[in-house]
Amino acid sequence: MLGFIVKRLMWMIPSLFVVSFLAFVLIQLPPGDYVTTYIATLAASNEIVDQTAAADLRARFGLDQPFIVQYAMWVTGIVTRGDFGLSFEWQQPVSGLIWERMAFTLLVTGSTLLLTWALAFPIGVYSAVRQYSIGDYFFTFLGFLGLAIPSFLLALVMMYIAVVEFGQEVGGLFSDRFVNAPWSWAKVEDLLKHLWVPVVILATNGTASLIRIMRANMLDELHRPYVTTARAKGLSEFRLLVKYPCRLAINPFISTIGWLLPNLISGALIVGVVLSLPTAGPLLLQALMAQDMYLAGAFILLMCGLTLIGTLISDILLALVDPRIRLE
Amino acid sequence: MERQDMKEEHPRDPHVTRRGFMSGAAGLAAASVVAAPAGAQAPAREAPDLAQAVQAGRLPPLAQRLPQNPLVVTPVERVGTYGGTIRRGLRGSADHNGILRMVGNQGLTRWNLEFTDVLPNVAERWEVSQDSSEYTFYLRPGMKWSDGQPFGADDIVFTFEDVLANSEVYRSPPAIFVIAGRLPTVTKVNDSTVRFKFAGPYGMLLQQLATPLGQHPTLFAKHYASRFLTKYNAAGLPELMRAAGVQTVGDLFRAKCGDIEIPARWGNPEKPTLDPWVVADPYVGGATRVTMRRNPYFWQVDTEGKQLPYIDGINFSIAQDVESLMLDVISGRMDIQERHIDTLQNKPTVAQNAQRGNYRLFETVNANSQQVVVYLNQTHKDATMRAIFQNKEFREALSVAINRQEIIEIVYLGQSEPWQIGPRPTHPWYHERLSRQNTEFNPAKANQILDRLGYNRRNAQRIRLRPDGQPLFFAVDVIPTLYPDQVDVLELLKRHWAEVGVDVKVNTIERALFFTRTDSYDHDAMVWPGPGGLEPITAAWDAICYHPQGSRYAIAWALWYATNGREGQEPPESHKRRTRLYDQALATSDVRVQGELMKQAFDLAAESFDVFGICLAPNLFGIASNRLRNVPARMPNAWSWPNPGPSLPQQYFFTS
Amino acid sequence: MSDTAAAAPAVDRNAARFAAASQWRLMWWSFRRHKLAMIGLFVTLAIYIVALAPDFFSVSDPIRQNARSVYHPPQIGLLHFFDEGSFRPHVYGMTLRRDPVTLAPTFVPDPSRKIYLGLFVQGYEYNLLGLFPVETHLFGPVDPRQNIYLFGADRLGRDVWSRIMAGAQISMSIGLVGVFMSLLIGIVLGGISGYYGGGIDFAIQRTIEFILALPQIPIWLALAAALPQNWPATYTYFMITVILSLVGWAQLARVVRGRFLSLRTEDFVVAARLDGASEMRIIFRQMLPSFMSHIVASVTLAIPAMILAETALSFLGLGLQPPVVSWGVLLREAQNVRSIATAPWLFAPGAAVVIAVLALNFLGDGLRDAADPYQK
Repeated sequence: MLGFIVKRLMWMIPSLFVVSFLAFVLIQLPPGDYVTTYIATLAASNEIVDQTAAADLRARFGLDQPFIVQYAMWVTGIVTRGDFGLSFEWQQPVSGLIWERMAFTLLVTGSTLLLTWALAFPIGVYSAVRQYSIGDYFFTFLGFLGLAIPSFLLALVMMYIAVVEFGQEVGGLFSDRFVNAPWSWAKVEDLLKHLWVPVVILATNGTASLIRIMRANMLDELHRPYVTTARAKGLSEFRLLVKYPCRLAINPFISTIGWLLPNLISGALIVGVVLSLPTAGPLLLQALMAQDMYLAGAFILLMCGLTLIGTLISDILLALVDPRIRLE
Repeated sequence: MERQDMKEEHPRDPHVTRRGFMSGAAGLAAASVVAAPAGAQAPAREAPDLAQAVQAGRLPPLAQRLPQNPLVVTPVERVGTYGGTIRRGLRGSADHNGILRMVGNQGLTRWNLEFTDVLPNVAERWEVSQDSSEYTFYLRPGMKWSDGQPFGADDIVFTFEDVLANSEVYRSPPAIFVIAGRLPTVTKVNDSTVRFKFAGPYGMLLQQLATPLGQHPTLFAKHYASRFLTKYNAAGLPELMRAAGVQTVGDLFRAKCGDIEIPARWGNPEKPTLDPWVVADPYVGGATRVTMRRNPYFWQVDTEGKQLPYIDGINFSIAQDVESLMLDVISGRMDIQERHIDTLQNKPTVAQNAQRGNYRLFETVNANSQQVVVYLNQTHKDATMRAIFQNKEFREALSVAINRQEIIEIVYLGQSEPWQIGPRPTHPWYHERLSRQNTEFNPAKANQILDRLGYNRRNAQRIRLRPDGQPLFFAVDVIPTLYPDQVDVLELLKRHWAEVGVDVKVNTIERALFFTRTDSYDHDAMVWPGPGGLEPITAAWDAICYHPQGSRYAIAWALWYATNGREGQEPPESHKRRTRLYDQALATSDVRVQGELMKQAFDLAAESFDVFGICLAPNLFGIASNRLRNVPARMPNAWSWPNPGPSLPQQYFFTS
Repeated sequence: MSDTAAAAPAVDRNAARFAAASQWRLMWWSFRRHKLAMIGLFVTLAIYIVALAPDFFSVSDPIRQNARSVYHPPQIGLLHFFDEGSFRPHVYGMTLRRDPVTLAPTFVPDPSRKIYLGLFVQGYEYNLLGLFPVETHLFGPVDPRQNIYLFGADRLGRDVWSRIMAGAQISMSIGLVGVFMSLLIGIVLGGISGYYGGGIDFAIQRTIEFILALPQIPIWLALAAALPQNWPATYTYFMITVILSLVGWAQLARVVRGRFLSLRTEDFVVAARLDGASEMRIIFRQMLPSFMSHIVASVTLAIPAMILAETALSFLGLGLQPPVVSWGVLLREAQNVRSIATAPWLFAPGAAVVIAVLALNFLGDGLRDAADPYQK
């Protein structure tokens, strides 16, 4: 097992290199560069950039260099100095910008993950065991309804109702007076008061698919001979379910952990934009839209790193849960 | 539709030269000396928190913080009271100018409320040489930066010699100060007097200094900024750069001292400024709000000698999506807001919620001329297309085929009038023919012209064919995320033109691509708002082909002009004459001569009818809380007049 | 083993029928018992019929603007069925007034102007199935010069009902191809990876990881900008779906592999191998059917996911752009405070999305259950 983990970790290094290169290509792919988008954004408010300033900016950011030179400079900075570059827009080191946001992102996505699983797991099992019952139809309908409503729509309507009808404050993760306050119990309470809105919206969207997968897997397992055998032996229904079919049905669940994280970040992006959350999504979208290369590149690299680690964890868990799977 | 435009209470008198209103300026400054006696028994002349700090010995007394002759501001409604925090919204990315517009508008000169005259600001008066190449500015003795250090001629000389001319920081100096390829020579006459000597005449300097791009002279405090330059602090720089995580001196300087329009200007709370409020929570990547608090050394007072600003601070909340700004507005969580929400389409919703949100609407006069200019690319790379677009009659046919009234009714809620380009009707330079020709809806005439031009055969879809058998078709580029109303207009245009047999594609593209395509004139046609309604001389590129990013009907010709013939293509004679007239107009500081020269250029532009449009850019709106007073009921809406800054937010105040 | 299955009468005749029936027939019998799935099937069919000939179901030209009906409120609740004692459905004409201060539009019903509705009426001309020009519409105003707005009109006075019909075409068709492409690649590569293991598995796994590690949003962004500009917008979006499907196969492949890894040692697979069955035969005849249900469930969820992805892309300004009409575009246009506050009927396309996604999900759900090999 240890050897397997080490080997996989070693493999991550070339993977990350290829990813970083591709990320760089992708960011460069759209026409124009940071300076063009910058000028375009200002032009939208009828604001004009000094004519020489544009050329000046390009030269200062090294945007007039060939692509491969820019990439080499970036990677060298990361490898030798741990320096992910400077955000063009904010004139701040990229790493500082990212970490602060990643913490909140993990908080939001982590809470969402817990809520989704807490809902999906029992409902999925119930729906499979009581297939075609009123309860099954009810939960199926509810889950699909949540899946079917576009999250941005739900977010905006929820915000409108909360703000206009109830006079609540919903945007962001903190009330105004806590935004820049040091951490305290009151601040945590305030955070929880805000956190539930994005978490519920995100979970509304994600739960249905997990319920369906869980239900489908359970149904596959429930008709296996071993279940019948176990039942014949007089095992209580609850223990029977938890001990065997659930353990197996959870298998594809675990396979999904690997990409759940980047997916949640992508999914949280749109809700994050609508609700103005201090998460990674909106900053990543801004960086991509503004072609703020190093910021976007570092984000993508980080998300790729998370995915690689996630897949590794899911492979290890897979082996632990299902002894039939051997690693190597 | 006169009511659309700001009443210009002081229309430009063609006989008053710049020297004329200079003397007026001197008079105002003289009055200000009288209005600011350093009285001992004036307890209410500063904010309570500042008075407390003075008592506690943490702050020098008011008289020592103000210059000897502070700028006296006449409040819009009445003298206010201290206190309160203004709530306002920003967008998540690239919205640093939202702060600049509210706070950072402290140039050597400033605009009056009507956007017609330049008034004293940081400079209390000035003198201009006969040929307008030499300017002497008299600053306010005793004026302080926000950290209490003196502001004076040294700072301005430092800015020009050590910053703008320093290739570590600026590879090329800002264009606004460059005449004949060179920066001015800036010399210190005494602590509070500086002289700018340009290499040639510069008639527009005083106006330019009042715009955001002219703020450099008052942006950098020598005592603070010099530590980030090799010349002053070679030994300490490596440590500073390491601490800031940057690689070059230029990056360090920008990160610490900012520039006119980059976010870093609002990212460093330590940086001294001349603004009414200074940064407390900075505008940095990932911030969810920006707060600013009162500058205790602010150098302006009201007519009773009370130090401004009245308001304690500003709280900018940052929204990733402008819709949440709208929500904040209609639920009464904003005290003053027009940025990002002021589209005409939003107006009914905002107006209907005014009572619930306890706010009122104020009008912002659009400084643009045309809401949607259609630019047919006359320097198209395809010879056939080029020939079609260069034909004036073709352009006339397209123009009269447009049912402008229908577009105005549908897209602009009936709030405009058919229009082409040029100064707005209330501007003294209004040019009837340039602005109104070919705005009538006459499809019969359009058909007649197109038949005559040889496009008289049609295909099965009733689209006209060119002589070479190809359908008469072109694509119009538009950025849907920037100007959604223009997409609506184009969809209507597509129908209007299809009715006379011309086929267009509404080409909705992403903005960077849009700019890349137009910069290299790869587009067939495109749409963009037409500027120059209230500032016809600084934004005249629809009539005069001089701006390589603006004159989008013939970028190649503009490039030829901007690079002195090195790049681009040689324009026709009419365009060359117009750019010559424009150069002359820019060099003179005599408004009357300027007006005559521009009229000649506009005559030529009207004759050649290079671009056409739909309607006069309609006035927009903003909201102000009913508790917030001294906000003018009308103000211009422009970048040169960076609303609401020149309406002086420092004299806004809250009633209890 | 489910309750209903147990409740089925086990008469001899029936048993004989089951024994003789083909696998697909069995599936259909099983499928019919799932009530929600049957509803889903009919709704899905109905939506695809609309998608085939949206203009037939439209009332007025979905892209034709109308200055007199900007933000026209819905008339579906204002229908009058009887006129002077006889059954003649009609609505009153409405006149637009604009508040001079707030600029808000108000519509006043005019009882003297009755607009009668009819079935198979003449309206604007369109090409049925892109082949022959017709003017007949399922229903609409009897007088083609008049307009009715069942679901109201948008900011340019275009009929929302007709736009929803038009949007169905693009939203329902686009994405289907993407799903099937990712399905194919996913099963083949996932199957090979899981069945053979070892070196091939390792190589495929690293590729999958790599592809999964690329976040979708930047790919969408980059591709949206990099596709040639002179393509029609629908073609551009179709290309994006295809490329997304090339990314999407990776997730499916991973799930398939997980199942293969555990199935590899199952008795029936070992038995088949000992029987000398070819590898391909084992994968496709033995192993694949044993988790068909899982694949059907995945696909079921993938089609509506594509529909939702289209709306999300439009929201970010990257998907289809007006003047193309899709449900995503319509929702994007409604996605603002202005619409919620003053024209909530613009969210009707959202209901269309919800109905379509629900129907597809129930349909797929029924299929999944029916395809379950252990059910009988």
